[in-house]
Amino acid sequence: MEKIFLKSDLGKSFEDYEFSGLKNSLKMEQTQVIDKIKDSVLKGRGGAGFPAGIKWETAYHVEDDIKFVVCNADEGEPGTFKDRFLMENLPYKVIEGIVICGYAIGSKYGYIYIRGEYTQAIKIIRKTIQKMYERNILGNNILGTDFSFDIKLVRGAGAYVCGDETSLINSIEGERGMSRIKPPLPVFEGLYGKPTVVNNVETLSAAAEIMKYDYNPYLQLGTEKSKGTKLVSISGDVYKPGVYEVEFGKMTVKEIVNELAGGVKGSGLGFVIPGGISTEVLTENEWDVPYTYEDLFKIGTNIGSGGMIVVSKDRNYLEIIKNVSDFFRDETCGTCFPCREGNKNINKMVSEIYERGYPMKKEIEIISDIKNAVSLAARCGFGEASVNLILSILENFYAKKVK
Amino acid sequence: MKVKINNKEYEFQEELSILDAVKKAHIIIPTLCYSEKLKPFGSCRLCSVEIKGERTLKPACVTKISNGMEIYTHSEKVRKVRSTIMELIIASHGISCNLNCLTCSKSASCEIKVIAEEIGIMEVRVPPISSRVPEDRSSYSIVREPQKCIVCDRCVRKCAEVQSVNILTIANRGPDTYVTTFLDKGMGNVDCVNCGQCVIECPTGALHEVYQTDQVWNVISDNSKYVIVQTAPAVRVAIAEEFGAEPGRIVTKQLVTGLRLLGFDKVFDTNFSADLTIMEEASEFLERFKNGGKLPLFTSCSPGWIKFIEHNYPEFLDNLSTCKSPQQMFGAIAKTYYADKIGIPREDMIVVSIMPCTAKKYERVRPEMKGDVDYVLTTRELAKMFKLAGIDLLNLPSEEYDEPLGITTGAAAIFGATGGVMEAALRTAYEVITGKTLERLDFESVRGIEGIKEAVIEIDGLKLNVAVVNGLGNARKMLDMIKNGEKDYHFIEFMACPGGCIGGGGQPIPTTKEILSKRMKAIYEIDKSFEIRKSHENPAIQALYKEFLGEPLSEKSHELLHTTYIARS
Ligand SMILES: Cc1cc2nc3c(=O)[nH]c(=O)nc-3n(C[C@H](O)[C@H](O)[C@H](O)COP(=O)(O)O)c2cc1C
Ligand code: SF4
Ligand code: SF4
Ligand code: SF4
Ligand code: SF4
Ligand code: FES
Repeated sequence: MEKIFLKSDLGKSFEDYEFSGLKNSLKMEQTQVIDKIKDSVLKGRGGAGFPAGIKWETAYHVEDDIKFVVCNADEGEPGTFKDRFLMENLPYKVIEGIVICGYAIGSKYGYIYIRGEYTQAIKIIRKTIQKMYERNILGNNILGTDFSFDIKLVRGAGAYVCGDETSLINSIEGERGMSRIKPPLPVFEGLYGKPTVVNNVETLSAAAEIMKYDYNPYLQLGTEKSKGTKLVSISGDVYKPGVYEVEFGKMTVKEIVNELAGGVKGSGLGFVIPGGISTEVLTENEWDVPYTYEDLFKIGTNIGSGGMIVVSKDRNYLEIIKNVSDFFRDETCGTCFPCREGNKNINKMVSEIYERGYPMKKEIEIISDIKNAVSLAARCGFGEASVNLILSILENFYAKKVK
Repeated sequence: MKVKINNKEYEFQEELSILDAVKKAHIIIPTLCYSEKLKPFGSCRLCSVEIKGERTLKPACVTKISNGMEIYTHSEKVRKVRSTIMELIIASHGISCNLNCLTCSKSASCEIKVIAEEIGIMEVRVPPISSRVPEDRSSYSIVREPQKCIVCDRCVRKCAEVQSVNILTIANRGPDTYVTTFLDKGMGNVDCVNCGQCVIECPTGALHEVYQTDQVWNVISDNSKYVIVQTAPAVRVAIAEEFGAEPGRIVTKQLVTGLRLLGFDKVFDTNFSADLTIMEEASEFLERFKNGGKLPLFTSCSPGWIKFIEHNYPEFLDNLSTCKSPQQMFGAIAKTYYADKIGIPREDMIVVSIMPCTAKKYERVRPEMKGDVDYVLTTRELAKMFKLAGIDLLNLPSEEYDEPLGITTGAAAIFGATGGVMEAALRTAYEVITGKTLERLDFESVRGIEGIKEAVIEIDGLKLNVAVVNGLGNARKMLDMIKNGEKDYHFIEFMACPGGCIGGGGQPIPTTKEILSKRMKAIYEIDKSFEIRKSHENPAIQALYKEFLGEPLSEKSHELLHTTYIARS
């Protein structure tokens, strides 16, 4: 069953929304807010899963008169649309989360970087920001306190890599959308060289939701290592695609697909891509796994962005591989050799495999070596994860059969 | 700080990059996008190393060491990743089919070949994929062959960080990522100053000079032409490197012999016209100084610098000395004074220059130069010709330059290093102003490899503020300081290339800091070896004025030895 937590204010109009999360936060010390988020073990929902509280705490401790909060709403991962859902349906909660983060870390300036194609979300967020200024939930002396905060909306440049936090920072600065060398991490030197917290839309919304309660609701949700709930956007061969909220550990992937998304269309399950096209697939033998960070990790895949794509047996898997490879070949920023050249070469091989109708053992071996090099030595997360899905399909469905 | 490298303990005082630390432990890690003079970029990933406790490998060039770090530079994991990356690089480079190392401009200095050996690559399993970006032959100085480009960004960074010219850029993303010029216009159609610093930075054959060796072979064998050659001061201290010698080896006299063997009718020296430049330029300076002319006076012998100021600081054009560069002065004198002297029709005389420089190829075709120089070869091109002719340069017997355009002084020799023009000019200016003999010839304060040097020179109670600048990034700094009124000088020497001509874009590759200082040392040795070390004491120059020019800045001098500039912004 869907667990309604983050979605609990769904349907509320802006006028009825109380911003209790923000109001509560402003009554607390900054460090108390940070501690609450830390205690909740809210992990970053953008894909990397880094604990938000620790990021905020680090930013709080970096001394600088200017700090930034950047909300990552680039959502470029194919099959992921939960951030759009949040921005279109709970825009005030998204912005509220940004303001709370700003208060906690001692920042006066926020940015929300929204994927360019999301025209509807951009419109809604723009309007929400404006109304929040009118209600003094943004601007100077928010709700009569000493805290002031301004937000700027930035429309994304249309490249998937810009979703990577360092590329996104470059893009906001008007530079080429290409990753920066880490270290320094953005919390130390981010936007315009200043300490910057970059968080995903869902992460910030969840933070706002957590702050709404006097107690810590996350402590009662999920498992030991995966606290709270997660928005899962399900698409592909299912009867009821959509964005569903799942409490960690309470459902398996199979149950999510069958009970929430209405089951697999066609003649049965081929595989599930659990968290966007950077994650390894789950086959029929594996999909009865509890939906938690730790359980998916144990069997070699990842929650990722929560973009679940269901693929039925009837599909041509090689065509899927080819499309995924086209995507990675075209979207790399082109800076580092393993990712640029690796994805180019894989694409060439995959195109041949697709034409031929089956892969050769040698090709799988080379692709596996390239994946090894890219995932160990690429310059950013894009390259690191770029071959996961392709190789996992080849290994699961072809490796044993071919010569 | 204690660090373990391949299970051995080391202690370091500073927070070095892993790459620098490992170097101190005498371990070699392959690098391709790294360059000692540039900001690290972290794109080739060949330098990746394993660090205990880290999931992914870390690039040694951008990762700093920390206390207790355990680094594995050549573990099996590391070797496997490097080898795969190398395979990909080789594939992108399309070597097996359409590119051929044997015909490549960088066959001798190619870094890819060296690294392939360091990594021990035995097989390339992925098919070659070449870029379809067309060649850029729009420039008089430099050719770009993008199908050999591996997009390491070194040329881009060199042009931007060191030269502050910003001609090259990485465009696009994905498989279409490539290096290009503004709007793909081509290097000949943008503000490129032709300095060739990008060429010596490029690890592959994607950038090289515009070759003129074929044309030179042709004229040498054409009996109806009288072909003379001039050699720039920086060539003789560098060309030996192309034959495997230690940097800093001086081969002046072997060079002369080699050129004769190639078939040049006369072998002359650009140092002759360097002395001539001093006569004109020192006189120009003194005239401006006495008559309240435009100061500071900027030197004008570096054509890369000239094009830079024409594009970027046209408001300073009046500060430039009107003297042509020594290369062009040589051509002008050879085709008038010398041609008449030996009775050769001017149109039958061909002047070839051997230069450390790619910008001289462009200078040659400037309309103001009236075609006085016919062909310009770089140090590297001449080395290729020697090799092609089977000339074993290092072991040739010594021969002397021809007279009279081969008679030179120590003052001219030092033109090849940053500070040399200034020092040579000061030696002459001192004696002209005071009428006394200069006792100490060495002006140490203007020597050395630093980008900007300043000195106050006292001449008979007169205080001259001078500065010496090399590298265009430093030139930009200097001009901005003058513009903002922060600095005030009488005389400034500018050279486009870091270190001066010894670091020119046509010199042997590699040109590192260490190699530069060795070439520089050799230059000053040559100066010391001359009995005559002041330009105005050069007897051939004295004769030239007596027989032909009259005196410095005469009408004839102006017609032949001086030029004009164009505001290009
Ligand atoms: C290629 C690439 C694309 C990414 N795209 C997104 C994205 O669209 N949205 C997002 O929130 N994070 C994205 N990330 C992750 C961000 O770099 C960053 O980790 C995240 O925004 C941090 O927020 P979180 O901790 O709240 O998840 C991407 C990372 C990479 C490497
Ligand atoms: S891994 Fe890919 S996307 Fe990331 S820096 Fe390298 S080329 Fe760019
Ligand atoms: S740059 Fe030239 S020599 Fe080097 S690998 Fe390429 S083709 Fe061969
Ligand atoms: S020749 Fe000089 S100015 Fe031109 S692109 Fe190369 S480095 Fe830049
Ligand atoms: S032209 Fe040479 S230096 Fe420039 S990016 Fe290509 S390979 Fe590197
Ligand atoms: S030398 Fe370190 S990444 Fe290229």
